[in-house]
Order: sequence, then C-alpha cells, then structure tokens
Amino acid sequence: MKKSSIIGIVVIAIAIAVIISTYSNTSTYGSFNDAKSTKSELHVVGRLNKTKELFYDATKDANYFSFYMKDNKGEECKVVYSGTKPEDFERSEQIVLTGKMTGGEFHASKILMKCPSKYQDGKLNVSEVSAKKSASI
Amino acid sequence: MDTVFKGEHLLPGQLGQFFVVLAFGAALFSFICYFFATQETVAKSDNSWLRLGRIGYWLNTVAIIGMGVCLFYILYNHYFEYHYAWSYTSKELPVYYLISGFWNGQEGGFLLWMFWEAVLGNILIWKAKSWEKPVMTTLALSQVVLGTMILGLQIGSAHIGSSPFMLLRSSGIEGPIFQNPNYLDFIKDGKGMNPSLQNYWMIIHPPTLFLGSASLVVPFAFAVAGLWKRRYKEWVQPAIPYALFSSMVLGTGVIMGSFWAYESLNFGGFWAWDPVENASIFPWLILVAALHVMIVYKNTGHSYFTATFLTLVAFVLVWYSSFLARSGVLGESSVHAFTDLGLFWQLVIGILVFFAITVYLLISRFKEMPITKQDEETYSREFWMFVGAIFLCLSCFHLVLVTSIPVWNLAFGTKMAPPTDPVKHYNFIQALFAVIIALLSGFAQFLKYKKTGTTRFFITTLVYFGFAALITALVVYATGFYKLHFLFIIVMLCSIYTIVSNGKILADAVKGKFKLAGSAVAHIGFGLLLVGALISAGTKKVVSENLTGEQYSADFVKDENPKENILLYKNEPLKMGDYMVTFTSDTIEGASHFFNINYKRVKDGKTTESFVLRPNVIQAQGGMSSTPDTKHYPFHDLYTHITMTNVITTGPKEEEGQHGDNTDDKKYDAPVTHEIAVGDTMAYRDGIIVLKGLNNNVKLQNIPITNKDIAVGAQLEITTHGKKYQSEPVYMIKGRAVFDFGKKIEDAGLKLRFTKIIPGKTLADGKVEITVYQQPESKKKFIVMKAIEFPYINLLWAGTIIMVIGFFMSILRRNKEVKIV
Repeated sequence: MKKSSIIGIVVIAIAIAVIISTYSNTSTYGSFNDAKSTKSELHVVGRLNKTKELFYDATKDANYFSFYMKDNKGEECKVVYSGTKPEDFERSEQIVLTGKMTGGEFHASKILMKCPSKYQDGKLNVSEVSAKKSASI
Repeated sequence: MDTVFKGEHLLPGQLGQFFVVLAFGAALFSFICYFFATQETVAKSDNSWLRLGRIGYWLNTVAIIGMGVCLFYILYNHYFEYHYAWSYTSKELPVYYLISGFWNGQEGGFLLWMFWEAVLGNILIWKAKSWEKPVMTTLALSQVVLGTMILGLQIGSAHIGSSPFMLLRSSGIEGPIFQNPNYLDFIKDGKGMNPSLQNYWMIIHPPTLFLGSASLVVPFAFAVAGLWKRRYKEWVQPAIPYALFSSMVLGTGVIMGSFWAYESLNFGGFWAWDPVENASIFPWLILVAALHVMIVYKNTGHSYFTATFLTLVAFVLVWYSSFLARSGVLGESSVHAFTDLGLFWQLVIGILVFFAITVYLLISRFKEMPITKQDEETYSREFWMFVGAIFLCLSCFHLVLVTSIPVWNLAFGTKMAPPTDPVKHYNFIQALFAVIIALLSGFAQFLKYKKTGTTRFFITTLVYFGFAALITALVVYATGFYKLHFLFIIVMLCSIYTIVSNGKILADAVKGKFKLAGSAVAHIGFGLLLVGALISAGTKKVVSENLTGEQYSADFVKDENPKENILLYKNEPLKMGDYMVTFTSDTIEGASHFFNINYKRVKDGKTTESFVLRPNVIQAQGGMSSTPDTKHYPFHDLYTHITMTNVITTGPKEEEGQHGDNTDDKKYDAPVTHEIAVGDTMAYRDGIIVLKGLNNNVKLQNIPITNKDIAVGAQLEITTHGKKYQSEPVYMIKGRAVFDFGKKIEDAGLKLRFTKIIPGKTLADGKVEITVYQQPESKKKFIVMKAIEFPYINLLWAGTIIMVIGFFMSILRRNKEVKIV
C-alpha cells in the first residue's frame, strides 16, 4: 500500500474520532425539569425572577450568590452560584446557566447574561462569568 | 415637508459617503480592467487595460484614505450627529482612544481591512512584475467585496452594507427627539467607549490583526494566478515570503490580543478558547500548514495539490472567521462577538465568492497540475513536514467543528449546546495534536530532503530526545507540573524536545549553514511558547483563597467550592498566601477608580518586600469593567483584580449629609456606652480606645463660648489594626441646654460621642460617658478581590517574540531566493 493512502486513512480516522468526541462532549439546552432527571451538566436558558430576593452579602461570604430563575418553560428554581455577583445582574434580560441540580437547588458553574444596551449597539451585550476553578488545564 | 435640522455638520459625512462610493466604484473598475488585462494575449497588448486597472486601484486607495480622514475628523470634533461618533466615543475620551474608537465598530474594522489591502496592492503593483495582472485582479475583487460591506445603500427594506457615515437620526433609533430641528442641543455627549477597550493595547492590537488577515489575500492571489494562467510551478516561490509575512503578523496580532486580555480583562488568563479567539487562529493554523507544504514543494516537487489547496483555503477561512465574529451567529456562545448589522447574508456571499473561486480552479485545473506519482521517502524531511502540516490542519478542523456548533444548529436545525466545560475539552484534544506537531517540528529538522542515512538520524534523534527528557523531568519537578494529567507532561516533553533539537540546528547554522537559522529560531520560539503556556496555565494558582471558613450549607461545601475571592475591609490587613495584603485607599483618576492594595511579604517578623498594586474599575455606559494590575517578576506574575466593591455604587447615590442625628445613627450598629476615667481603656470590635485626657479649652466653630458655658473635649486615642487615630468629641452645656458634638473617624468606621459627665469628688476623679458607634461590617468600605499567580508566563511572551524573529529571518532568506520576471 502506498504511504499516501495510509496517511489518507489515518487522517480520515482521526477526523472521525474528533467528530465523535466533539459530539459526545456537546451538551444540551434543557429546563430545570430536565436537570432534575440527569446527573450531567447542562445549559438552562431563562429569566431572572426579579420579584424574589437576590442574595449576595460579601461580608458574610464573598463567594456565595443565589437567586431565583424561571426557565423557558416557566418553571422556577433557586440557583446558587459560587462566586461574586456579576455586575448589573438585576438588569439582565436573559440568562444562560451552565450547571447541574444538587438537592433542590441548581448549582451554576457559569452564568452568561444579556443586558439591554450595556455596551455599544454594535457589540453584543453578553457577559459571562465562570466559577470554575481557575487552574483548569 | 422636510425638517431643517440645526447645527449639523453634514459636509464631512457627505464627503465620506462620496469616498465610500468612489472606493467601491474604483475597485470594481480596477477589477474589470485587470481581468481583461490578464485575459488578453500579451503580444497584442498595448497595456491600456493594465494602466486603467492601476489607475482604478490608486483611486481606490485615495478614496480609502479619504474615508479615514473624514471619519477621524468626525470623531475628533465630536460630531455626535453621526451614529459612529455617538456610539463609540465621548467628549472626555483622550485623543489616543479616539484612534481606537476608529476601529471600535464593525465599519471601522472593514475600513482598516480595506486600508491594509490597498497598501499591499500598491506594493504588489510595484513589485509583482509579470504576476501583477492576475494577482491584482484578485486583490481588486477582494476590495469590491469589502467595499459592499460599508456601502450603506438602502434598497427598499433591504440594505447593502453599513456605512460609518450614517447619521444618528437616520440610524434606526426612533425617538420624538428627532422631530425637533434643534435635536442636537439635547445630545450633549456620545455614549462613550466600552471601558474594557480603553486600553493602550487596543490602539495597536486591531491594526496588527487586520494587517495579518488582510495580507492572507496575497498568497491566495498568487495561487489563483498560478492556476488561472497555468503557471503552475512558478507561483509558489514568490508567494512564500508573503505567506511568511502573513503568518508572522497574524500570529503577532493574535498573541497581542491575548496579552491585552491578560493585562486588562478580568477572566484571569491569556486564552479562554472563546469562539471569537478560536476563529482568529483558523487561518493562521492553515496558513502555517500551507507554508510548510509550499516549502516541501519548492524543494522536492512533491505535495503540489496540498500546497495549493491549503493556500486557497486559508483565505476562505479568513472570511469564515470574519463571518463568525460579525454575523451575530455566535450570540449565545461567545462573550465578544458582534451583533448582526444586517450583514449576515452579505458575509455569507463573501465566503461563497472566494470559496467558489477555490473550488472552480481546483477542479478545472486538477488534471493539469504537476502532481507526482511516486511516494516520498519515509526518511526524508518532506514526508514528515507534510505529516506535520496535516496535523496542523486536523487541529484546525477540530477548532472549526466545535466553534461552529451554532452554525450547525442554524444549518441543520439541531439544538446542540457547546461542551459544558469547553476549556477542558479544547485543552485535551488540542494537546493531542500539539504532541505530534511539537514532536515533528523537533525531529524533522534532523532529516534531509530526499533521503537521509537512517543510522545517524536515529542516533541524533534519540540522543536529543534523552536530553529533552532529562530537562523535562527537571522542569516538571521544579514547577509542580507533575500534578497535571499525563498527557500535558507529554506535550511538555515534546515542546522541550523541539527547543533542544532546534537549538542544535541553530548552533550548526551559526557555524555555517546559516540558511536554516530562521526556521530553527521560529521553531524554538514555538516550543518556548508552548512551554510557557503549559506551565502558566497548568500551574497557575489562586492566591486569594478564602480561608475564613464562613459557609452556607454543608451541601454547598461538598460541591468543591472554589472560594477564590477574598474580602478586604479598608485598612484591615489580611494574610493571603505569603503576603499580608491591605486595602489602603482608593482614588479617582478620570473615569477610572483606582484601588491601592499594599502587598507585604513578611518573613520572621521582618518585611522582606513591599509593593502596591493598583487594579482599577472603570465605569462607563452604565457598566463597570474591572482592570487588573499585575506585579511582574522574572519567573512569575502576581495578578490582582477587583471582583466587587461597595465603594462605587452603580445605583443612585445615597443622599449625603443626612439630617439629624437619628437618621445618621441608623448607619451604625447599636451604640455601646462606656463610663471611663482618664487613662482607662475600652475595647470595641476592631481595636481599643484610650481616654488620654480631658480638654477644657475647646474651641468650636461658630459657637462662642462664654464663661458661663461648659465645654469639655475628651481626648481619645483609637488603635485599630496597627493604626492610631486621634479624636476629640465635645460635651457642652450652654445656658440650660446640653449639647454634644460627636466625631466621626471614617477610616475606622467609628463615631464617638461624649454623652455625659459623671462628677466625682474631684474633677480628676470624675468619670465620663463615651458612646461608641461602630459601622456594621457591611457599611465599611470593602473590596472583594481575586489574586492569581502565573508562573513562567514570561516564557510565553518571550517565545512569541523569538518566533516572530524567526519568521522575519526566514522572510529575508526566502526573499533573496525569489527571482521574478
């Protein structure tokens, strides 16, 4: 067999492996209900319930922030985020959480929020915070 | 009837718009002329098409410069009737940030891209000789496509391009204000610049990045010209120096971006695998692969198709990454993508134009291409360079695949979400590719083109590999890198191997074979870059660990709580790692609010090191942006940024100077009264207070004290957290009324009142009553901050600089080899 055909086969094999590993690593967008039935992390899109309390007191614990969010199906759940409260959180219009359900609370490891006209019109008004351990290579 | 608006400066905008149209028209004209110049038979030609083509291109260049001047004039004079000036700048912005305001918006970005392409085109007109006609056809076409992006033509409801000279009142922002002819009187200032962009790196990073991406058109144009004019074998050599230049500049631009992110953004790192970041390196990876294969072809005649294919694809990827960043498609997955300016389909057409050219030429010319039938030797440099290039492409393939998830969703109606932990996913898979690429850039250098003696090759390879393994063991042990996944240690080994083996090549080169020096230096730089990135990202340590142990629920703790932020009250030192940190003061300088944080390293009671870091917070456009400050050591960096503070409030300020004591007292905890005599000490939460003495000669402002009145001051000394403060509250009886004048010590968060005199047998024997108010913890000024230590990050920057030097040396060498007619 020629070397070029061997390389070709190897390349195709690696490409397929990459596609499969990527596909298996993708997560899904779901609701809080979905989160209850799975143990893996997923993305939940929803809105902040502004009528309920947002709890953050840096003097007690600078790394604890909790709030209530309604997902797109209207279900509400308490969300706990271990980090500081993101700036302008109250003004957010839409929130994308990454995390999983622990007990009755949704523990978010990442919050991506969209605020109205926070920055320029041209720039997307999205900001992201992550509570992941920093050393994460 | 049309309203006549007052106070508008319409001339620069109209002139600018004229230049926009002129640039587009001239580019189109130039494209057509160059196209016919290329198609006509040389013998019959009187070169009139060529001359017209040149004139068109020069006109295009002039128009682009004209646009730039007009736009800058508008920004410089703060003509907020223009949407661009209003959106991105404000009056208080310093001039050097007006320059970065220039490319703040997408339109400015396109303008910059066109400008660089115009510069490159003029160089090619001057240098390209027989290649000028076909190469310039492609460049002119690219200018046409770019020109449509900023045309700003409105046809019915559809619009073509978005012009930087659009007026605010016609920008689609509705408001009754625009019915008023005096509307400009109400627009006092622009919206200002996004605070995170107010950084000197934003002046230099975008032009570099755009020069890099724009220059990719040149190798593309050469490849197109080679296929089009059937000069298959000739195009490669003149294209190599340009490809080297593109890789150098684009690489520099990308790393500058990550340096900017590291220095002024607060995500705590230099690379976050954000989709927009990934998109910027797609073309770089493919171009570097193409470059290697082009050199293979030049030296051996092998791999012609791959070289051509990759050169063409690299430029198509420039358009694809531009599409990803600008079309709004990444909305849900990226932090810094643009929103759609209505250019979505125009950008798609941009990709398709160049993709169609690529596909057409590759298919129609396939049979004529000089493709070799026989295989490369296994022990030859070209074979392994080829394999390395393929792995660069695979690495790019993976990045494209994951970054484009939103595109797949859009195209196939699926609902995939990106990986929940993208950093881990990218790190792992890219590390696999890095192993092979680093290994190959090490040992391929020991091979010769065509054929190499195997024995000698194996001996040198193994000797240097052993040497690299030894160094790796030392490095891994010294930096604590061994705690990481095994795979990353392998990457480290291969990167160090690249450095050592290329070091050997460099040493040989200095002795004689100087030709190889450029590539050796570039590969050493690449190896160092990998090593620096691995160590600093892999062993970075959060120093600001919260050890106070205040927890919420046991559940929460179990969840591997990061606890990476610490709370610092003003003037209360806290131990953080090896340091004693104190938040000493805050100052406002312009739009930035600086926090002075004192770091002290204490060893055996002695201060061995003391410095101040000044992270700051910029407030603009209703948002806050935190800029870190970093202490640079030769072998590590200490990075600090503010994550939260109560010093600045974004909400309406509480009314200062509350009326009456009662409301004021509410700001404090319940008061505590102490009856003490002179010399006594009383304790409070944060320290002690000593009554030093009583002062009968108190002078009060605005209140005359007569002999009948009694006014006594209590001289108090407060000691808190190693600092001493003096305070003298006053007790006064005037006529029949009793007054007391409390004193506040803001820095200590205290208010002290002298509330009673309890007479004793003698005056000295008497006691006084002091009421102590202390602020609740939450009312005291505090900051929440995060500090990270990045070890050996300087290797990353040094590696980049060395790599750039290597590229530059290679450009000089390859440029000498080029002989074009």
